Amino acid sequence: MKKALAGMSPDDVQQAVIDSGMRGRGGAGFPTGRKWSFVPRNLPGPRYLICNCDEMEPGTYKDRVLLEKNPYLLVEGMILTAYAIGVQHAFIFIRRGYETPAANLRRAITEAHEAGFLGKNILGSGISVELDLHLSAGRYICGEETALMNALEGRRANPRSKPPFPAIKGLWESPTVVNNVETLSNVPFIISHGPTRFKELAKLPEASGMKLFCISGHVNNTVCVELPLGMTLGEIIDGPCGGMLPGRKFKGCTPGGAATPYLTADHLNLPMDFDTVAAVGSRLGTGGIVVFDSDTCMVGATLNLTRFFAHESCGWCTPCREGLPYVREILTRIEAGRGVPEDIDILAEHAKYLNYAFCALAPGATGPIEALLRLFEDELREHITKKCCPFRR
Amino acid sequence: MPKLTIDNIEIEVPAGTNVLEAAKQAGIWIPHFCYHPALGSVGACRLCAMKFIEGPVKGLQMSCMLPAQDGMVVSSTDPEALRMRQLVIEWLMINHPHDCPVCDAGGECLLQDYTVASGHGIRRYKGKKHTFLNQDLGPHVQHEMNRCIECYRCARYYQEFAGGDDLGVMGSATRVYFGRFKEGKLESPFSGNLLDICPTGVYTDKKARFRARYWDYEMAPSVCPWCSLGCNTIPAARYRELLKTMARRNDQVNGWFLCDRGRFGNSQVNDPERPRSPRLDSREVSWDVALDMLVGRLGELNQIHGEGCIALVGSTRMALEGATLLAQLAGLCGAGFLCYYTDQEEGDRNVTAVSRMTDDNTASMADVQASDCIAVLNCDLLDEGPMMALAVRQAWRKGARVFLVGGSSQEWTKTVSIEVSDVDTLDAVPFADFKRPVVICGTLRNNPAYIENAAKAGVKTAHLLSGPNACGAALLAKEHETTSLAEALASGKVKGVLAIEADIPAELLTGIPFVAAADWLPTDLVKRADIFLPTTAWVEMDGTFVNNEGRGQRFRRVMNPGLPIKGLDPAIHPPRIHSKTAPGSDLRPAWRVIAQLMERLGGDKVVEPLTGRWEKLRDIPPDGEGIRIL
Repeated sequence: MKKALAGMSPDDVQQAVIDSGMRGRGGAGFPTGRKWSFVPRNLPGPRYLICNCDEMEPGTYKDRVLLEKNPYLLVEGMILTAYAIGVQHAFIFIRRGYETPAANLRRAITEAHEAGFLGKNILGSGISVELDLHLSAGRYICGEETALMNALEGRRANPRSKPPFPAIKGLWESPTVVNNVETLSNVPFIISHGPTRFKELAKLPEASGMKLFCISGHVNNTVCVELPLGMTLGEIIDGPCGGMLPGRKFKGCTPGGAATPYLTADHLNLPMDFDTVAAVGSRLGTGGIVVFDSDTCMVGATLNLTRFFAHESCGWCTPCREGLPYVREILTRIEAGRGVPEDIDILAEHAKYLNYAFCALAPGATGPIEALLRLFEDELREHITKKCCPFRR
Repeated sequence: MPKLTIDNIEIEVPAGTNVLEAAKQAGIWIPHFCYHPALGSVGACRLCAMKFIEGPVKGLQMSCMLPAQDGMVVSSTDPEALRMRQLVIEWLMINHPHDCPVCDAGGECLLQDYTVASGHGIRRYKGKKHTFLNQDLGPHVQHEMNRCIECYRCARYYQEFAGGDDLGVMGSATRVYFGRFKEGKLESPFSGNLLDICPTGVYTDKKARFRARYWDYEMAPSVCPWCSLGCNTIPAARYRELLKTMARRNDQVNGWFLCDRGRFGNSQVNDPERPRSPRLDSREVSWDVALDMLVGRLGELNQIHGEGCIALVGSTRMALEGATLLAQLAGLCGAGFLCYYTDQEEGDRNVTAVSRMTDDNTASMADVQASDCIAVLNCDLLDEGPMMALAVRQAWRKGARVFLVGGSSQEWTKTVSIEVSDVDTLDAVPFADFKRPVVICGTLRNNPAYIENAAKAGVKTAHLLSGPNACGAALLAKEHETTSLAEALASGKVKGVLAIEADIPAELLTGIPFVAAADWLPTDLVKRADIFLPTTAWVEMDGTFVNNEGRGQRFRRVMNPGLPIKGLDPAIHPPRIHSKTAPGSDLRPAWRVIAQLMERLGGDKVVEPLTGRWEKLRDIPPDGEGIRIL
């Protein structure tokens, strides 16, 4: 931060992030520097920066670990980002339930204030940044950036229509940048070590930087580790995770949280980066890998995820509010051995048409459903023909 | 003006028109629930999906969310779009109870229409439906939350459009609930619009509940008689009972909505106390006897007391037809006084306001909505013209400044949740800083000098007058240089009064030897009158009101008059004495009563009451926007 304030213009900071090629770590993987560049220059009135820490997806817990270990990184990253895009008031929107990270952040913010890194005229640079922490009332939809802004404004957490995009009209109708905890926490490194160094951290030439992976499921070590982008799925499971649980075989996993289509054993050699995972019909998402062994019923797993999404729908649009419970009902029946062959057609139809929902929640929820149909159709049919779950003992 | 192609039809629409509206203009109706022209697009229901084939946006899109743009080629019949719309209906029907047979919205329900249109007929979903507890929303609005399809129209209307804060949306996912945040009746004076805006049967009219189906109703375009604004209505009647009133769209006047006073003011038409037969000294007589006696008594009075002892009194609630004929009757019967107002001040204020009105300087409610600066002169809008408060709110929502001049009531501004600035005088309002300023001036509290002052501001003014035809009455009062009844009585010359639909306190006429009244309301004067003639209510006749901005609007007969079947003495039902007419149906429009008196006094037969400057109001379509006659 001292380096930036002393020797870099806001544009330099932004350019460094653009050059670093960093893509957002919150799930969508949008290039961070480009997102910043959409904020109109020289527009009168305030602009805002929001850190999205509404980490609520099953299987994703990297932001929690990050904030439990080092909240200062986020505070510094936010000061740098605020400097780059000319923000004087930034917010951290943190999930209800993350009380420990919130306490850590509060302490970090107080300490930053005391050290003169926050508040008016930071280190005599003439730059002022206020940073406020907001503990969410708690809904998954608050992680959707426009719903988050509604929640922060004190409204119902329903998503807003885009356009206008937040960079033009966001919080209180002002230009707003919303970034993930991990994204912002990477900014200090990019500034201190330079964009090239950051880029080179990745294992693939097209990829850029390190990424937090949080792995859970049927592996020996369920860990949250920072790994270079481009490591293969197999390397991650066999390395930091210490391989599968004794006697278990890898069957599949979500590569990046509950809203990403499954990967299977065919993908163990797949380098884990945004584009490579997208190329096989899934998404790197948040890096929340949930590993399933060969004894896992994928219908049951999908049902479990769908239950979550159906419950967390905000209720704004019809497909999400009504379609997800529809899918949940069908999967419940199939899992209980009461499925009929026509159910598969209905599921397929939902996997397609739920994508026309208002925001990304329902399309995200179709990820596992679509992958279930594409990769595990025989398992589905077995449930229906045997009239029971073949994995239940 | 963007040009686009929808289902192979090329159409050019004004910039900013969304594709759904553009399709409507091309004659293609795209089903939609959450979109409403008055509330805008929000993209919640996902029913208006269309396939965008060419142009800046491609693929399956919600047509309400996209403004029409040059080069768009759009299909409403694309299989994917059709399937999406079918699925939305199927999704909504997952939880909608199939209670159409006992639902009052049945027959006037968008969900029914679109479900049938979509072709969704067989239930595939095997789970249970969710259920909710209903709320008691007060005497007018029935709540049935199980029917809800979560289009969010009610919450958006109630909070955003009407500025209410007691009803809205709670919960999430499939437990989304629309209702009041705590127990009690709806607080907004515009709550009745929930009945119109709900696309299905969540909110239905409590008083009209279980009384009729949509196709049973007698309906006609009408105009609200309960203030001077002239909001357009569709009253609905069955079995000689006025059951409910719905809003009729008129963008120049009330837009899409009504106030609760107008919507729920039906009971007086059905009042069992309503006088329904001519009476002579409290005895029921035939029309001919009553009319002959009245003409005779008027002649006698002239003979005994000399010409000029009779006062003819009209009112601001009598339709224009009667009001114009009243002046002609005055000439024929040698009346000394023609009065359109009972109260001197009321007359002065109305006439002063109307005298200053020209086509250019008068603001309609549409002008108020489009204004960027509104000065309200000492009046309570919820009292003098409730829908005007809603118009002010729409302007305020678009950024207009609202000034309350000279201690105007604050209460109404809280009811519609707007921010206002207080100023002492009209001069303190910075009109010059704004492009489309308007003044709203009431006549209930402001004296004539003050009203005149409002006109001097040089700004378009909306005057609030004292009745549905107050402007027409004031124009006639000015033309015939009439006095008020109070002034006439003060002269001491009045020996006989003929009051047609006039609200005269009975004690005012103490000592007047002869009083005749014609009315449809059971007023005190009706009971005291020596001769009484029953007239039809506005829904039982064709007629014209001239509203506060000088807009002549026709209303059509909705129902034939008669005692409502509900409430008839069971002993006389079924009828033992057979008749070709319904009991209590022998009422005549006020203008017809006046015309018959004129004929008896030697006048020509009146075929068409509106003549001279009023002639152009004869043939205006009742479902149009009306015409200004200033």
